[in-house]
Amino acid sequence: MIHIIIRMRHNRTNDEVHTMPTEIEVPYLDISDPAFSMHSEAVRRAREQHWYAKTNYGYAVLRHQYVSTLLKDPRLSQGSGKWPDHNGVHDGLFHSWWTKCLLVLEGEDHHRIRRMLNPAFSLRHIEAYIPQFEALAEELVAGFLDSGECEYVNDFAEPYATRVLCILTGIPESEWPTIARIAGTIGLALGITIKDELPEIEEALGELYGYAEGLIADRQANPRDDLVTRLVEANRDGDSLSDDELRNALCLLIFGGMDTTRNQLGLGMQTMMHNPEQWELLAAHPELARNAVEEVMRANPTTTWVTREAVVDFDYEDLHAPAGSTVHFFTQVSGNDPEAYPNPEIDITAERAPHYGFGGGMHHCLGHFVARLDMAIAMRVFSKHMTNIRVNGQDEWLPDSGNTGPVRLPLAFDKR
Amino acid sequence: MQISVDRAKCDNHGQCTFSAPTVFRLDDQGILQYEASVDDSLRADVEEAADVCPMQAIFITD
Ligand code: HEM
Ligand code: HEM
Ligand code: SF4
Repeated sequence: MIHIIIRMRHNRTNDEVHTMPTEIEVPYLDISDPAFSMHSEAVRRAREQHWYAKTNYGYAVLRHQYVSTLLKDPRLSQGSGKWPDHNGVHDGLFHSWWTKCLLVLEGEDHHRIRRMLNPAFSLRHIEAYIPQFEALAEELVAGFLDSGECEYVNDFAEPYATRVLCILTGIPESEWPTIARIAGTIGLALGITIKDELPEIEEALGELYGYAEGLIADRQANPRDDLVTRLVEANRDGDSLSDDELRNALCLLIFGGMDTTRNQLGLGMQTMMHNPEQWELLAAHPELARNAVEEVMRANPTTTWVTREAVVDFDYEDLHAPAGSTVHFFTQVSGNDPEAYPNPEIDITAERAPHYGFGGGMHHCLGHFVARLDMAIAMRVFSKHMTNIRVNGQDEWLPDSGNTGPVRLPLAFDKR
Repeated sequence: MQISVDRAKCDNHGQCTFSAPTVFRLDDQGILQYEASVDDSLRADVEEAADVCPMQAIFITD
């Protein structure tokens, strides 16, 4: 969830690659070059040449089979825990939250919390929200359907992604603009300006704590059939989440579930606009929507890479990465690897090898069923009401590596 | 109770090992290993593992 901003801004270089003398010629990719693109011929050639590339910041695993195996390797840790410290932030509210977040915890500390969160995010529980997700999608679409045009990010993806999280956590949906602003401000913490912007970031995090603590106190007093109540009551072998742990988790999932969903919705729309015959197939067969989500996430994921750090000296085949090295998993590149996907063209009916757009292993996305279902419903509702969707004006995009997606996507369409 | 994991679906994410660590574990190669037949007292844990599996690969057959 973190890569875009970080990408351009790290400029330390002691992560340069050290390799043993070897016969194999390992390709090299300059991933901090502003012109670097995941969709480039250079990256495709590198993937053809070898299973990994050296980069100016560690290694990049390119082929599907290797991403699948190594993403889950316990010798590689998530590695972002030290991010605030490396940018001069050693204490305070943000530091204490970040360093105790599920995303950066490892080993038993991670598994204990994950074990108690997981059941509330199971398919069974999340499916119960389908009618609410669907009503929300219909409401937002009704707001612009008759006009024949919309700005997809502002008019749909952002309010939809944010309000889904409100529905899930029980925050009143009317407060979504505040939640979106808070999450955006906390996001500044992932850029190198974290230190300068710390007062604002901490104020926003404090506000989010307020929401989370209010929800927890309310559900402790008035349990109901919802996600926060299930988390409040989660209990394993006499162990349960403390109020602080639960608050930290609620804040992480609001923070981690919003931009990702908004961006992935935009990328899904892009892919489907390029494949109008698939769009018509979806409209005729709405039951394909869940598979369509898998297909667009394989071919066009928002999280184009997932980053790990070697905990110990890491040896695999001809790769010898000293402890502390950065290992990137290029999920967009592996999702289009012809070895795993001999017919990579978009086909929403295809049964495919799994993609890694939700990461993998112990840190596999907690909210993936939420994202999978809410995006499937969004696609279904759009395909039901709209055809001949096209870009209508100036679109703007984040860089295509790191976490990508549209910033602005004006569309025109014909009402069905 | 009898458990079966659909190997074609399982992607070795190891989330099941959190729910029922005595039934599911990842071996040194990171591959899921599991007990196919376990005592009924573990039913709640195994049901939870099946529920949370991201690939929905775990089936309880009785
Ligand atoms: C998920 C995304 C990322 C996170 C959370 C992250 C976090 C971190 C953290 C915590 C460190 C300190 C590690 C340490 O040396 O102890 C670090 C170092 C570093 N990262 Fe990132 N990073 C990410 C992506 C990237 C990307 C995309 C690049 C380059 C394009 C990059 C380049 C570097 C460099 C050069 C260092 C310094 C290494 C050193 O000091 O030895 N990182 N990063
Ligand atoms: C399309 C939307 C989404 C995408 C592409 C996505 C992607 C990811 C990825 C790649 C990771 C793993 C990061 C890593 O291993 O370094 C992750 C972790 C996580 N995601 Fe998502 N995510 C999405 C939606 C959501 C939603 C809706 C929620 C919450 C409801 C959520 C909550 C989390 C949490 C809490 C983690 C940390 C899990 C852990 O470390 O154990 N995500 N996500
Ligand atoms: S959680 Fe599911 S996919 Fe992961 S190892 Fe267990 S059975 Fe396999």
